[in-house]
Formats: sequence, C-alpha cells, structure tokens
Amino acid sequence: MVDNRVSVKRYFKLLGIYARMDLASLTRDGKFMALVIAADLISNISAVSGIFLLAWKYGGIGGMDRFEVLFMLAYGNIVMGFLNMMGGCNALFPSRIIGRGQWEHMFVMPLPYGVQLTVGIFPFTGSSTFLVGVALLIVALRNLGKSLPWWWPGLLVLLLAVSMVTVVSLSYLLSSLAFYAPVQCEEISSTVIYSVERTMTFPLSGMPAYVRYPLLTVFPAGLMAWLPTMILLGKTNALETFYPTAFALFAAMLATCFFKKGFRYYVQKGINRYVSGGHRS
Amino acid sequence: MSKKELTDMSQGDIALKHTAVIVDSVSKIFTQWQRKEGVRSIFRQQKRTVAALEDITFLIERGEFVAYAGPNGAGKSTTMKLLSGMLQPTRGSISVLGMSPEKDRIALMKRIGVLFGNRTELWWDHPVIQSFEWKKVVWDIPDQVYKRNLERMKELLEMDEILCTFARELSLGQRMRADLAMMLLHSPELILLDEPTLGLDVVAKRQMIEFLKKINREEGVTILVTSHDMDDLEEMAQRILMISKGKLAYDGDFDGLRLLTGHMTHFTVTTDGRKPELTGCRLLGGRHGVFEFEADLSHTSIRFLLEMLSHTDGIRDVEIRRAPIEQIIAQLYQSWKN
Repeated sequence: MVDNRVSVKRYFKLLGIYARMDLASLTRDGKFMALVIAADLISNISAVSGIFLLAWKYGGIGGMDRFEVLFMLAYGNIVMGFLNMMGGCNALFPSRIIGRGQWEHMFVMPLPYGVQLTVGIFPFTGSSTFLVGVALLIVALRNLGKSLPWWWPGLLVLLLAVSMVTVVSLSYLLSSLAFYAPVQCEEISSTVIYSVERTMTFPLSGMPAYVRYPLLTVFPAGLMAWLPTMILLGKTNALETFYPTAFALFAAMLATCFFKKGFRYYVQKGINRYVSGGHRS
Repeated sequence: MSKKELTDMSQGDIALKHTAVIVDSVSKIFTQWQRKEGVRSIFRQQKRTVAALEDITFLIERGEFVAYAGPNGAGKSTTMKLLSGMLQPTRGSISVLGMSPEKDRIALMKRIGVLFGNRTELWWDHPVIQSFEWKKVVWDIPDQVYKRNLERMKELLEMDEILCTFARELSLGQRMRADLAMMLLHSPELILLDEPTLGLDVVAKRQMIEFLKKINREEGVTILVTSHDMDDLEEMAQRILMISKGKLAYDGDFDGLRLLTGHMTHFTVTTDGRKPELTGCRLLGGRHGVFEFEADLSHTSIRFLLEMLSHTDGIRDVEIRRAPIEQIIAQLYQSWKN
C-alpha cells in the first residue's frame, strides 16, 4: 500500500510555492502593485463603512452600540478575508472548479484533493480583506472598553473557525449540484458566498423572529458575524453559545456526504470534459 | 534483477512487469440529456445513455509507441481519460504500470505524464520557468532529476528562448513545447498524449514528432498517442489501435491496416501526353501528361502491372508508391459508417 499522506514539511513547501507565485504576480509591476493595494483598501473600507456610519449616526443599531457593530463588521471581514486568502485557486468556489473543467487538472496532480484545495493560497493579492478586518477588530476592541478573560482569544479563534467551516460547507453542499449540471451550476458557489458576504454585515439584534431565525438556519448569514459577535461579547445564553458549532458540524457532514456522492456520479456517469473552456465549450 | 527474485515471481508478475497498460473488457457509458421539440419537453427532458466504449480489450508493452485512432466521437479521449484516472469505467478493469488509475491515482500520477493538446498545464500569468518550478514542488521531483531533465528539455526542445516568457504570450507551437517539457520533468515511464500536434505548423509538428521518437527510442518511454493526422501517427508509432463506435476495430501494424482495404497502391505515369489505358487500374486524375492511378495488388499483380506499362506507348516515367495512410483510414471510416 502506497502512503499518499503529505508531511507537514511538504505541506508548507507547497504553501510556499503558491505564496511565491502570488508575490511574483503582485510585484510584476510597481504601478500595478500600488494600484492593487489602493483599490483593495478602498473597496474593503467602503464595504463596511455604510453599516458603520449608520451605527455612528444613530449611536448603534438594534441594541448594539457603534463599536459592537464595528466589532461585528471586523469579525465578518476576518472570516471572509481569511477564506479568500486561503482559497485562492477557487477552493472556496468548487462549482467553478467543476464547471470550468479544472477538476481534471486536479486528477492528474499527485496530491490528495484536500491538499490541492488548501495549498493554493494568495497571501499577498488576497489578504486585504483579512488585514482590514484585523485592523478594525483592534480599533473596535480598544473602544469597547471591556476587560476580556484570558480564554477570550481562544474563543475568538474557535468561533472564527466555526464560521469559516459553516460558509465553506454551504458552498460545497450547493456546489455538489455542479457535478450533475456543470454548466448551469458553475457559479452556484459564488452566489452562495456573495449572498452570505452581503447579508452577514446586518446586525440581527432587534430584528423580528421571522427575519432572525431564517438567517440563523436555512440561510445562516447570521452565523458568519452577528451571533459569534454576541457570543464573544457575552450577550447569549448557553444554547445560543453552542449553536454555531453544532450547526457547523452538521453542515460539514452534510456537505461531505453530498459532495462525495456528486463526485462519484461525475467520474462514473457524467460527461467529463477536458477542453479549454471546461464544460461551456 | 537476481535469479532468486526472478524465480520468486509468478508468470503473472513477470508479465505485469513488462506491461505498461492493460485494458480488460472495458465499457464506459455516459448519460446525456435529450430535449425533443414541443412545449412538454421543456419540463420533461429525457435521459439517454451513450456507450462511449464497449468491451474494449488491449495490452501495451513497456517501451511501445502506440497510435490510438478513430473518427470523431469514437471514444479516443474517453480512453485517455480512463487511463489517466479522470473517469472510471462502467465495466471492466484497467491497469496502468501495474496500478489502478482509480485507486492508486496519486502514486500513478508520479509515474505517468498526461498531455491533452487542447489544454495547457502551464500557469497562464507566469513565466514558463515558474510553472516548471511549481511542478517540481507539487510532483516532489528531486533536485538532481529536475536539473538534469530541465537541461535536457532546454536542449532538445529549444526552451531557452521561451523559458522566461509568460505562458499567455507564447504561440501555440511554443506552448506545446513548453507543455511537453513540463510533462517530462518528472521522468514519466508512460506518456498519454491526446492530439499533441493539434493546430501545430509543419515545423513545430516535425520537432514534436522527432522528439517523441527520440525519447521512445533512447529512453524506452512508453507512448500512447491519439491524433487525426494519420501520416504523423504512421511516422511515429509502430502499432495502431483503431476504434469505431466505441469498439476496437483494429490492433496491429500499419501495413496490416493497408491490407484491410485491399492491397492498394498508387502510381504516377508520365507520358508524352497520351492517356494510358491500364486494365484493372483506376484513374484518379491527370493533366499535362502526368496521370495518377490506383491499383489493388491483390487483384492486379505487380508483374502484370509492369507488363502492361511496358507495352504501353509514350511512357516516359513511372513512380509506384503505397497508398497514403490517410486514404486508407478514410475508406475504413466510410465503411464503418455504412
């Protein structure tokens, strides 16, 4: 039996080559680099400024004060920013990989699929949202004036991971449809991700139950920033505190099951293409 | 290999050691959506199953250079995808270098090279050398092997001029050369090439053919190649597998293939302007005293043909040659259609 496991050293070597390639494409041209950094910065700040300015003007939204809102926006930015940075090669958008025929590239690479999907990082061109998120988090924490217990950073990291697992699971769950209809479902993951990204910045505090519950269950945008923020600020009960983790585990199991099923269909029955435009040509 | 090791091996093991590819009774069935005319069909589309391959069996020995041909839609690319693990067979079994492409994908990919002419493995927005370095890390190629192979590729495929060029700025011929070089960086024992000469000009095509022949001859790399250009295939390969409608229609050498459509020979007769009358020969065309004929040597012997020509007045020159393989194949494809 051949051992196909990838050692930690090799994994970091793989991360390194993708990071080097990303740096090379950013630094190809000085003007291009300056433009990319400036555009990213403006775009990321403007993405959160609308909600924050509303919170600033009205002294908070739905029971959250202005810096609690800022903390929530920062949390959301860190979740999506980290995923964008780590999922450079469309790992966050698996339906694109399938629809564009890129999975066929993956078949011929001597690496486990999981490794291929997680090593394609864009730490230089894809890190702006993450960095803006971290900066906003520091500003929010300084202005919240709360004394945080020693375990609080651990809880923050855990909840960030839980939110990331949830959004990735949703993307993979719906992307499993692309194995059956590659052309029609090529952009289904981007629809999921972008919808979550746009909705998660709205504070759900004070919202009626018929708005809040769907956003915590069928379309769990509330688990990307709002509920974790409430947990981290100590504004939830025990059930609410464990709910995001339970939901993430359930979503991950469901996504794994459906994605594997779709994959089996794709290689056994699907019309597999390997041409320049993927399944579209 | 020591004598003891040899005696410890079963006949099956020895056969496997010398075999690169075993395709045993493989069928591949696809599902296709069908939409008929009419409003009802908008909501009720039908599924149809299509047999891309039906009960295909063949074996390729190590070191062989095999051509894989057939008309459009015959199942050539499907076979290539099955061998490279991109698809799984509906029935039957496949063994490549003694491994299952489905179960041993990772180990197998370290030992084979796959190149589809209509796709590139190069990183589009990076120089060619960057793609090579990426491959070195992903395939975990030892430094020594990488350096040696890179030097060889630079020399054999004239890579120096394009090594630092961004892949998107390469011409098709240059891109194919770069793709071929990248595929060979990990010293694959078997290479699968699907339409590698697609769209290449005469010079680029010649360069590729010569290169493939060289690595097959000198390094014993097993090659399975598909192409629509039969003359290229005949020049490269010693053996041809032909499929039609998903079934293996021919497995043998190119001379044997010629015999399938009769022993056709083409000859050109140059005269003083008169048209020669040759019994049993078909006139394909002629002008200004140069006439092209076709004869089936299984019906008209070469001796009879030469006798006829020697008794014909006004003949200045005769050139006899084998029928082009393209024509043989075209006749075969036509007969399979009928």
